[in-house]
Amino acid sequence: MNIIGKSVIRKEAFDKVTGRAKYTADELSGPSLHARIVTSPYGHARILSIDDSLAREITGVRAIIVGSHEFPLTGEEIRDRPPLAVDKVRYYGEPVALVVADRYEIAKKAAELIEVKYELLPVINSPTEALKEDAPILHPNLMSYEKIGTAYPVAHSNISNVTKIRKGNIENGWSQSEVSVEATYGFSPSSHSAMETRAATAEIKPDGYVHITTSSQAPFMVKRLMGIYFGIDIGKIIVETPLVGGAYGGKAPIQWEVLAYLASRAVGGKRVKIVYTREEDLTTAPCHVGLEALVKIGCTMEGVITAAEMVYWFDGGAYSDKAIDVSRAGGVDCIGPYNIDNVWCDSLCVYTNHPYGTPFRGFGHSEVLFAFERTMNMLAKKIGMDPLEFRKRNSILPGHTTPTQVVLNKNTVGYLPPCIDRLKDLLDWDQGEITEVDDRRIRVKGIACSWKTSTIDTDASSGVIITFNSDGSMNLMSGVVEIGTGTKTILAQILAERMKMDVEQIHVKMDVHTQTTPEHWKTVASRGVFMAGRAVLEAAEDVIRQIKDVAACVLRTSTEDLEVAFGRVFLKDEPEVGLMLKDVVYGYKFPNGNSIGGQIVGYGNYILRRMTYLDPETGAGQPGPEWTVAAHGVEVEYDKRDFTYKLVRAATVVDIGVVLNHKAALGQVMGAMSMGLAFAGRETFVFDELGRVMNPQLRTYRPIHYGENPRYLVDFVINPVENAPYGSRGVGEHGLLGMPAALANALSIAAGVELNELPLTPELIWRTKGAEL
Amino acid sequence: MIPYDFEYYNPSSVEEAVQLFQTLHHDGKEPMYFSGGTEIITFGRLNMVRAGAVIDIKNIPECRALEFNQESLFIGAANALTTIEERNPFPLLSQTVSEIADRTARNKITVGGNICGTIFYREAVLPFLLTDSLVLVAGHRGLRSVPINEIFQEQLLLESGELLVQMVTNRAYLEQPFVSIKRRRQWDTGYPLITVAALKVGQEIRVAISGLTDFPFRAKQIEGALNRRDLSDEQRIELALHSLDVLILNDTEGSSQYRLFVLKNTLHDVLHELGG
Repeated sequence: MNIIGKSVIRKEAFDKVTGRAKYTADELSGPSLHARIVTSPYGHARILSIDDSLAREITGVRAIIVGSHEFPLTGEEIRDRPPLAVDKVRYYGEPVALVVADRYEIAKKAAELIEVKYELLPVINSPTEALKEDAPILHPNLMSYEKIGTAYPVAHSNISNVTKIRKGNIENGWSQSEVSVEATYGFSPSSHSAMETRAATAEIKPDGYVHITTSSQAPFMVKRLMGIYFGIDIGKIIVETPLVGGAYGGKAPIQWEVLAYLASRAVGGKRVKIVYTREEDLTTAPCHVGLEALVKIGCTMEGVITAAEMVYWFDGGAYSDKAIDVSRAGGVDCIGPYNIDNVWCDSLCVYTNHPYGTPFRGFGHSEVLFAFERTMNMLAKKIGMDPLEFRKRNSILPGHTTPTQVVLNKNTVGYLPPCIDRLKDLLDWDQGEITEVDDRRIRVKGIACSWKTSTIDTDASSGVIITFNSDGSMNLMSGVVEIGTGTKTILAQILAERMKMDVEQIHVKMDVHTQTTPEHWKTVASRGVFMAGRAVLEAAEDVIRQIKDVAACVLRTSTEDLEVAFGRVFLKDEPEVGLMLKDVVYGYKFPNGNSIGGQIVGYGNYILRRMTYLDPETGAGQPGPEWTVAAHGVEVEYDKRDFTYKLVRAATVVDIGVVLNHKAALGQVMGAMSMGLAFAGRETFVFDELGRVMNPQLRTYRPIHYGENPRYLVDFVINPVENAPYGSRGVGEHGLLGMPAALANALSIAAGVELNELPLTPELIWRTKGAEL
Repeated sequence: MIPYDFEYYNPSSVEEAVQLFQTLHHDGKEPMYFSGGTEIITFGRLNMVRAGAVIDIKNIPECRALEFNQESLFIGAANALTTIEERNPFPLLSQTVSEIADRTARNKITVGGNICGTIFYREAVLPFLLTDSLVLVAGHRGLRSVPINEIFQEQLLLESGELLVQMVTNRAYLEQPFVSIKRRRQWDTGYPLITVAALKVGQEIRVAISGLTDFPFRAKQIEGALNRRDLSDEQRIELALHSLDVLILNDTEGSSQYRLFVLKNTLHDVLHELGG
């Protein structure tokens, strides 16, 4: 069979392109009440009073809920966040009250009538401000909060977590180094801006069962955390997730489900729906973290890097939640994909009065790589070496050790040098970095390399169930959420390939229902295909064994002589002797009516192996299963007078292991590149001195539009991974990783100044060049 | 979702529309004329615009006019921006409006709506300011025709219940050399940092600007400097920037200093395109 690698059309494509696909807010299973949030208009303020008397008078209002110490604190590592603000608000957009009403417009009207009085408090608008001696402490109870994950907060500070990475001996590294560069970097938080805004419904049935439907990447985590937060028996929590309209990490945290549950609880368990407005989706929901960084890299005159010393201050916002995890991932891969003997890094997660941070496609990597890969370019320039040659010389390879001291082999790391070589071809690198267009405009290329492992829970697992239909076709059930990546189609391809069946004969269950779908930890970290794919293969082995058991009895042979393929089970050496699968999978019936076997149900599971926690003092440990590497480039056409630029070409070459679905892989890489360029070039929240987001709408917060995009060039290096399904590596995020650094490198060359902030707007270039009129 | 109920009316004549407004206003319905509806819908959702009734003007023939007579071009207020672009009776207008919002929104946004809207860029007005166009306004006392440079002071100064029906532009202006340049914070979408439309009438360059301050304006204050043919381009622009007497915007699109930088370069392009 040749199903692997083929551009099989997504199984949900026809529903999506005809507008018939259903998302959480489209669910119409019965009547429901509606909730509307009242949000904080300030970044940091004391709540003096909440007057809901006018709102309560409106007919159709069922409940008004305000923050209370009775409600549990939430958070995935540190439980520091009240679901509705209590006493204080700590970010613009924070939920302060919740109105439940018969209809959405009633809830909205009532919400507008709730009068909240605030007393402004000093605002922390950056990690630097948060770490000043006289900075207000945003969470005075930090050390007494309950931890349900791993976190190392610092007492009497705004630091929620410290990740220390200590590899080799940094002093030795500096003494061996002959040339070094040090620089600082920074950018503000931004948004995922997925097309589907966050939404959830919750209902508490009279029997105590809690039904939640949510737009989430982590329905099984919703179940677990709701159990922890509210003391509900985990078996009584049922979570459903239909198709998700874009997630990008922004739907991995749990927030809107908690609000929906509190709303339902306040109205006797009736079904309540909450759908975030675009403004709430931008500012109330967790966002893409900001970062400040200090990077120092040293090398010999020959270009061998001997030392890298970094401090990353992640702007985790008002609550630590998943930002802690992101900052840890930034520490794990604190350097680019290089073999550096001496590495010293502190990666801190810092509280500020910004919307709180959460994973963003790339999970901390594009962020630290922006800082690291900018510094790499400066260092290459300083020693007069081609920036790609400099990277190639220092490439991390099998046999080398990562910053967390994992010794790599050919399965656990891809090959960077061929990615760099292919990138050179794609970008016509031999024609030089700069080409003159006319007396004002130049075309300039910038590059960056990237790597990423998936720092996920050490016990993360994925389960798959296979059932059959009476025609011999198969049903595939996996807990992977279809977030737009086409993963479920690829799982069908993997099953079809193994069963040697037409992929049309594989029916996938698109939605996730935690009572009937086996668990997939979370649909994050580019791990869907790797983990669920392994589980699919194991489940396939399970059904093949069962089919053979029945067929061996019927055909009076041993199971070893049988083969399952093309919808049949047959003798390997006499293929004409065999049975149709449809005659086996629901039991085989002999001519006299006797039957054996019964319906076949297959099960498979995969758990990540040999993952460990990181040593708190050195960071040593196995943080993830494998590292994907990539080389990226961006070409801009830069106007020397206006400091404006167009994106001309953007290239990414990834060592993908094996391509499972060609067009799906291209789509993932291009989509990720597009997000990376938008984040690098335009997307950012703008805060005022009160911590208010000044661009909380898509009018002024503008993702990239069609027509603004460059020509995308994507290619793959093929080095199959032995333990991955058909040898493939994760590829959902990697196109993004090097884009910010590559764009900044191109523009720094073009403008002749070092551009170390994002987004890279013409105004930033103008300011960096001296802000002359 | 628009959080309030409102009545919808769909008159077929100017008189009917104006009369409806009177009656609804009298009844305390706080009516609004409705053309493309993009602002009423998107701001209504946020309670930033409220109306108890809307009077759709799209079925009024005069508001849909797009025609010439011997002397003038008549553009009905309810023509969608994309209609203007496609039929292209007024190339400067086509070019200016083609940069507003995005294609999907421009299918809805109308010329009159853009000029009368609350979003203060109102770039569609710039070509009319440059061409000393007349606006045809209907009120309960009937139609009146007013020079746009009189009635447009930061915004269109309509009396309560008045309806912008048409813009009337002298055909002679349609043949003049022009340039329209929009500069944004980044790339090709978004509100302007600066939009400059310029027209060369005889030897005289006229300039109108949006995005520099919180209203669009015919920049007569700098036209004198720009037309100083005894000076170099650099000198003219420097003099022009010194002659500006508006409060320059400082917002998420860009700082005021940067806007001046962009304006300076844009004026260079205007002079370059239209010649001294």
